[in-house]
Formats: sequence, C-alpha cells, structure tokens
Amino acid sequence: MRAIGTIALRELRSMFLSPLAWTLLAVLFAITAYMFMAAVFNYQVKLVQFQSYGEVGKLSLTDWTIAPMLGNAAVMLLLIIPMVTMRLFAEEKRRGTWAAIASSPLAPMEIILGKYLGLLLFLAITVSLLSLPTFLLFFFGKPDLGQLLSGLLGLFLLAASFGAVGLAASSATDNPIVAALAAFGLLLLLWVAAWMGEAGGSGVGLLLGYLSITGHYQNFLTGVVSSTDLVYFLLLAATGLLFARQRLMAERIRG
Amino acid sequence: MPEIMIEISDLTRNYGSTKALDSIGFQVQRGEVMGFLGPNGAGKTTAMRILAGILAPTEGSVHVAGLDMIANPVAARAKIGFLPESPPVYDEMTVREYLTYLAGLRRVPRARLRGAVEHTMDRCGLKHVADRLLRNLSKGYQQRAGIAQAIVHSPEVVILDEPTVGLDPIQIREIRQLVRELGGEHSVLLSTHILPEVRMTCNRVAVINQGRIVANDTLEGLEQKAASSGSFFIRWLRPPDPELLRQVPGVACIQEKQGGWTITPCKGEDPIPELVHRSAAQAWDLRELVPTGESLEEIFLHLTTREEDGETSAVETSREVLS
Repeated sequence: MRAIGTIALRELRSMFLSPLAWTLLAVLFAITAYMFMAAVFNYQVKLVQFQSYGEVGKLSLTDWTIAPMLGNAAVMLLLIIPMVTMRLFAEEKRRGTWAAIASSPLAPMEIILGKYLGLLLFLAITVSLLSLPTFLLFFFGKPDLGQLLSGLLGLFLLAASFGAVGLAASSATDNPIVAALAAFGLLLLLWVAAWMGEAGGSGVGLLLGYLSITGHYQNFLTGVVSSTDLVYFLLLAATGLLFARQRLMAERIRG
Repeated sequence: MPEIMIEISDLTRNYGSTKALDSIGFQVQRGEVMGFLGPNGAGKTTAMRILAGILAPTEGSVHVAGLDMIANPVAARAKIGFLPESPPVYDEMTVREYLTYLAGLRRVPRARLRGAVEHTMDRCGLKHVADRLLRNLSKGYQQRAGIAQAIVHSPEVVILDEPTVGLDPIQIREIRQLVRELGGEHSVLLSTHILPEVRMTCNRVAVINQGRIVANDTLEGLEQKAASSGSFFIRWLRPPDPELLRQVPGVACIQEKQGGWTITPCKGEDPIPELVHRSAAQAWDLRELVPTGESLEEIFLHLTTREEDGETSAVETSREVLS
C-alpha cells in the first residue's frame, strides 16, 4: 500500500515538474472556457428567439451551456489524455529507470496502481479546473446543480477510463509517441463505435452501442447517473489496468 | 561457515532461437566480491537481469539469500540491489529525493528512511551534491547515484553491471574503492570486460563466453593455473604460416607476440618435440624457445577465443580486455 502511494506522489510531482502538464492544463482550460463562453452567448440568442414565441420556460440553462461545454471537454480529453499517459511506462523504459523499479520488491499491480493513482489525482485536478467557469452561472441564473455534478462525475469517470487505456498503451511499448498514438486510436474507435450501430442489425448494433463511449457519457450530461454507465467506465478502466499487468508479466518472460 | 547468497544452477535463457545463456551455474558466498568476466555479448547482462528479477529464465533456478527468484520474486527482490548498465536516474529529481523515493519502494521502514538515505550518500560521496538535480550531475556522479540506489536498502546481494564504463580514471578508481568496501557487508556480483578491474576488486571470478561459464575460480587459483599451463614463447627466423602451427598436434592456442608466437599446449600434451622436428625438417630456422606460463590476459583470451574465431577476433578481444 505504501509503495502505491509513494509511486503516485512521485508521478504527480514529476508531471508538474515538467512543462507538459502545465501546458496541457493551460490549453485545455483556455479552450473549454472559450467554448463555455460561446455556449452562454448562444443561449442568450436562443433566449431572445424563445421569448418571441413565449416559450422561455422550455429553454434549460444547464442543457444549453453546461452540457455542451462538458461534451466538448470530453473531446479535448480524448486528444490530451494520451499525451499525459504516454510517458507512464514508455518513458521509464526508454530512460532505463525502469530497471530500478522492476528490481524493487513490488508486484506488477502495485506499480500499475501507483502510477494510475498518480494519474487519477492529476485528472481530478484537471476536472476541477475545467468546472470552475460553470460555477459562475450561479451568480446569474439557476442552473441545475444536480445535473452539473452528474456531468462532472461523468467527465471524471470518462477521464479515468481514458487514462487506464492510455496507461495500457504505454505499458506495451518503450516509445512514448507510439503509446500516445495507440491510445488515441483506441479511444477514438470506442468513441465512434456506435456509428455502425444502425447498420449492424439488432444484436451487433446493440453491442456496438454499448461499447461506444458517447452514449454512456451523454446520460451523465443529462443528469442521469445509471449503474449501466458507471459499470461501463469502471470496466473500461479495469480492462486497461489488467492489460498493463499482463504486459508487464509477459515482458519478464519475453525480454 | 560461509553462507551461499547467490546460487544459480542450470540457467538457460533463449531469445527466440538464440541461446543467450546455456545452462550456466555458480555460487557467491556471503561477503564475497565475485567478478563476472566476459567479452561483450557473452551473456553477462542477461544473467544479471535474471538475477535482478527483471527477466525470467527459460530454464534453471536462481536463489538469492535462500529465496527462489522465480517462485517468489517479490520477496527475493527485497534481498537485492541492482545497478543496470546505464544508471537508472530520474533527471528531474535531486539526489536526496531520488534515494528517498527508491528506499521507500524497497520498503525501508519510514523511521529509518532518512538515516538510510544520509548514510548511503555519505558512503558514495554524494553528500555535497545531495540537493542538486541528477540531470545536472556528471556521468561519474550519476553512476554513484546509481550505485547508491542499489545499496540504499542494505540488500544482502548487490549486482553491478559494468559499473565503471564511461568514467574517467579518477572516477574509476573511486568506484572500485567503493566496490571493494561493499564486499564484506554485502555479497557483490560485478560484471566487467576489463581484467585489471577484476584483479583490483574481486575475490573470485567466473568467466563467461558465448553463454557458458568457462572458468570459475579464485584469482590466485586462476593465476596458478596460468603458471602451470606449460605455455612457451617460440621464435623462428622464417616463421611458418600460423595455420600450420595450429595443426601441430597438442597445440591449443597460439598468439602472435614480439616477432614470435606464444603457444599454449593442450592439457597434458607436449607439442615441443614435434615443433622442433618440423622446424628442422622444413627449415623454419628456430631461434628462441622460452617457457613463459600464461598471463591472466592470455588465460582470458584462451578461454574466450575459439579456434574457429580465428586470429582477428582474438586480437579484437585482447584489445578490449587490455584497454
């Protein structure tokens, strides 16, 4: 347990000691904040239109500002998380520091959980930072707090599962760029999985629909926290971690 | 009563169809510094990575301080400290942070952590650079930090893979001094392809070549063998083709030297009468014949050079060993 914490804290520190984490956070924050602002202005325009029809009550502030912003943030994370996770194992193997870790009395899962926990802390910081602009809305209107929290939970779960996929990709190579590309490709594939859903017939279509990230995430944005969606993200994360464990064990044998 | 700290037996490691290690075995006692000597590519690094628990062997067993590295790797790794070929340092950490981090991973109790780190830095001469970033330190200091991480948790077995490669002569001397000091308290296995290093630091030596152990003895034992090997120096005015010399019955190994040849006979055989006979019959014109015995270098060459490798590789190997 102690080793997991030790590794997690070192990972988190090393992220903030390099300019990478700061740059990613700055870019992510600036762009999502801009998108949020755009959504708010768009809402105002819509508000004027709806007023002329006398249907202002049907226009949900949360649906028109917070939900699209969190939706866009997810797309940004799809691009950015592979860049955060690519170093986790690949960089250690490339720099040779892996030998110091691998010759320590640690089970593979301890190393993986340590690195993953460090990553989760970073992602928690990221999601908190991204959520800051949304709270400004409370000064000007009455957004749905429950829906906002459900959306943020969804974003964190999405980020956490993306992180596990990225970690798995990083464990499979000693080249960070290859790790980033592999993770990005996999995540994008999961993102668009449902596109084939209608053509795939009822059985395959349902399966592709379930595999697709978008549907599960969308539910959180509308304020619905269901166990199906929770389980989906947890399963995706667990699969990533177990794959990484398999890789580390196989590496001892393959060399 | 000496205690066996490293015990390797029948260790084989294949990479695909290449055999990197072919059924090697040796033991290291408590407090001993064992030199693991061999030309580049002989399998030293593979053997050390297996001992460090990073690589699994294809066959055979590895015991460290009585613990089975294959069946119980986590517990067995707690007994070892490993310095790989290049020092495994994190650029962005200071020496103190680095050692504290790795001591934590090696399960040094929290109460003793600080003391262990300070003591290790003292021992490795790292005190005055304790708060500098590893990226800004010279190769020599990075190497010391690498050795420091291998001993910070006071493991019973220390495995050092070519610890002096790429250092300047003063740094080499300091590292060798440190390695000598490590023996006694820890059991040390040190790989190298530099002979004088073995002479200066080790009690015992195992010579590996092409994945096999070809000698395993104390330094004195090896030198004794060398003296009694029956080698001699021979010089002719019109020297024959070296191929002809190799074909003389009883000749195991020849090496060109100062205008003549140093010849090592096969065990228990004496090629001298035949050589004298041939030189008279074929008018090679014998000028000098002196018994020499083998130097450690020659033993090493002899052990690691096979007939089919021919002359060039012998010369290459000798350059490497003597450098």
